[in-house]
Amino acid sequence: MAKWGMVIDLDKCTGCQACTTACSMENNTLPGETWQDVLYYTAGENPSGQMKWLPRPCMQCENPSCVHVCPTRATYKDEEAGGIVFVDWNKCIGCKYCMIACPYGVRFYADEKPLIEPDIRDVFPGENGQLWSPPYQNPEEDWRRGIGIQPPGVVSKCTFCYHKVRHAPEGVADLDEDNPEVKEYVPACVRTCAPKARYFGDLDNPDSQVNRLIGDKHGVRLKDHTGNRPQVYYLGAGAGVPAFTPADRENDA
Amino acid sequence: MSTSMKGMQPTTHGNALQGPLGWGLLVIAGVVLLASLGYALSQLMTSGHTAFNTSSVLPWGLPIATYVYFALASSGLGLVASLPLVFGFKAYYPLAKRCIFLAFALLISGMGVLALELGHPFRMLWVIPANLQVQSAMFWMGVFYSLDLLFLLWKFGKLQGGHWDSKTARQVGIASFIGVLLASGNLALIFGMMSMRPFWFDALMPVYFYATGITSGVAVLILLTYLAYGFRRERMPAALQRLMSGALPRLFAALVGATLLFIVVRAITGLYSNNPEVNLVWSEYLLESGLYLTSLVVGLLLPFVLLLGGLRNRPGIQVLTAVLVSLAMFAERLYFVVGGQVVPLFKGSWVPDLIAYTPSATEWALTLVGVSLCLVLFLLGEKFLNLGDMPPQMTQAPAGDPAAGDPAVEASRA
Repeated sequence: MAKWGMVIDLDKCTGCQACTTACSMENNTLPGETWQDVLYYTAGENPSGQMKWLPRPCMQCENPSCVHVCPTRATYKDEEAGGIVFVDWNKCIGCKYCMIACPYGVRFYADEKPLIEPDIRDVFPGENGQLWSPPYQNPEEDWRRGIGIQPPGVVSKCTFCYHKVRHAPEGVADLDEDNPEVKEYVPACVRTCAPKARYFGDLDNPDSQVNRLIGDKHGVRLKDHTGNRPQVYYLGAGAGVPAFTPADRENDA
Repeated sequence: MSTSMKGMQPTTHGNALQGPLGWGLLVIAGVVLLASLGYALSQLMTSGHTAFNTSSVLPWGLPIATYVYFALASSGLGLVASLPLVFGFKAYYPLAKRCIFLAFALLISGMGVLALELGHPFRMLWVIPANLQVQSAMFWMGVFYSLDLLFLLWKFGKLQGGHWDSKTARQVGIASFIGVLLASGNLALIFGMMSMRPFWFDALMPVYFYATGITSGVAVLILLTYLAYGFRRERMPAALQRLMSGALPRLFAALVGATLLFIVVRAITGLYSNNPEVNLVWSEYLLESGLYLTSLVVGLLLPFVLLLGGLRNRPGIQVLTAVLVSLAMFAERLYFVVGGQVVPLFKGSWVPDLIAYTPSATEWALTLVGVSLCLVLFLLGEKFLNLGDMPPQMTQAPAGDPAAGDPAVEASRA
């Protein structure tokens, strides 16, 4: 079985947020429930100040702290599905402990105040147990893997677009959107990336492009000191996010 | 104060809550409970958890802090009850039964608030035992607090049956003591084991929770014990009067002092640390908050000073300090729970700031549900379960007898 991994080249990423938009459309997420987003921040100060950005999907960690803390096994790492971390919406009790335990902030409890008004949940009220029911929905729904639109009171997260990835041919090394044979199986954020900053493939396959990129271009994992060992790797400058400083104190640092 | 007895039953003539006052307070607490529960449920049913001001970046707010406050006050009282029932400090017998019942009432109230905070409380009942995720501290929280509740009820049943010192009562007492240590220690580790939340990450968090849990428990106990006797110490049984003017206020002073010490060393460590996820919580959030500073100075430091000297034996001072410390400990729980989350996991987005959180009306209603439910249970207990009960030999000792309740003398008598 493959071990799906993602490589994001920060030297190529333009911060255009197409990935964020594609993810939101593919997975019918609410405003603010950004399973995949791009963080913008400044680092340093004049004359060496920098403007940086960082795309942030779920890291699908090899040693996921969210899975360890879940009291119901609702969140689990599915080795049969390439090591993707899922949330079983039939088991989640909404205790939100996984959101506390995740060092990357990529879990969402969408049953919260709306980010923008009008609340789109009021515009498209939920039907059949869904939190909200927009007219277009991804037809592939699998609540045991947190795919589709969630019911109220559960945690949601990026699934590496498993509803697409799972159709990939057995043994394929890379899911490259430029390869017509597999392009339908590529995660939405990867397929839409205009500067081709994202790569998706099998970390267990020695011939995969993701492995070559990690090896040749010094791939690093975000917040590696947490020991969570992400299956998402970053290339180029910028994966070292500076420490948080409140805006009013930045000049004091 | 009457020390007359009917058979082996101690007198409860002084208990103000068994009269009209008890009914009056019960009606008020019941109305508050129904109103706050009604409001909270209507909000939750119509708006779901959008009625909370928590969010995906700050998922745990006031309801969790309320649960932690109640659960730890309950554990604190469970530990205080162990003083006479496990460790032989018989001077504490007059409060043992009230301690255990209050521990039960507090725990039920805390669990009730927690249930209303969860996304799917009823699913929890089957999905946790069915999946046995032993890696999760929250799984063990469920196990240990359920055992704690069971042992509290069992122990209370023993005392209700007059078995103060039987072999089984002692064994249940020891089991309950261990249950309390495991439950509250494990609750501490839910926070203390989170290395990705450095403000909480602390192997000694259980010790902090034990100490501060007893402090909050004793504060509630003192307040409600005075309430039971109409805020008049002379209406209390002699043995209880001795305890309230001797060992208990001294213990309370020491506990408030220990709590202050814990907070001060945590503050010093946090301010000294370069790690912004700890440092900023203290420098930019806790010590910048007027309410938090007030809770420290007025709610802990002032009571500590008042309790240091001879003033501590005055009923008025005891009630005042109990109220102040109860409120301060509640604030401490809220700032502790929120403090671990206010620093964003990533520096990000234009004007980075600490994550803002102010509890919503629904969240405060849940806190009110907890407080009023606890009061209703307590008032029912005082009215029908004789919470001031104590072993017969203690009620027989005349007021002012220094030997009564002395473990050494009790032992030599035995």
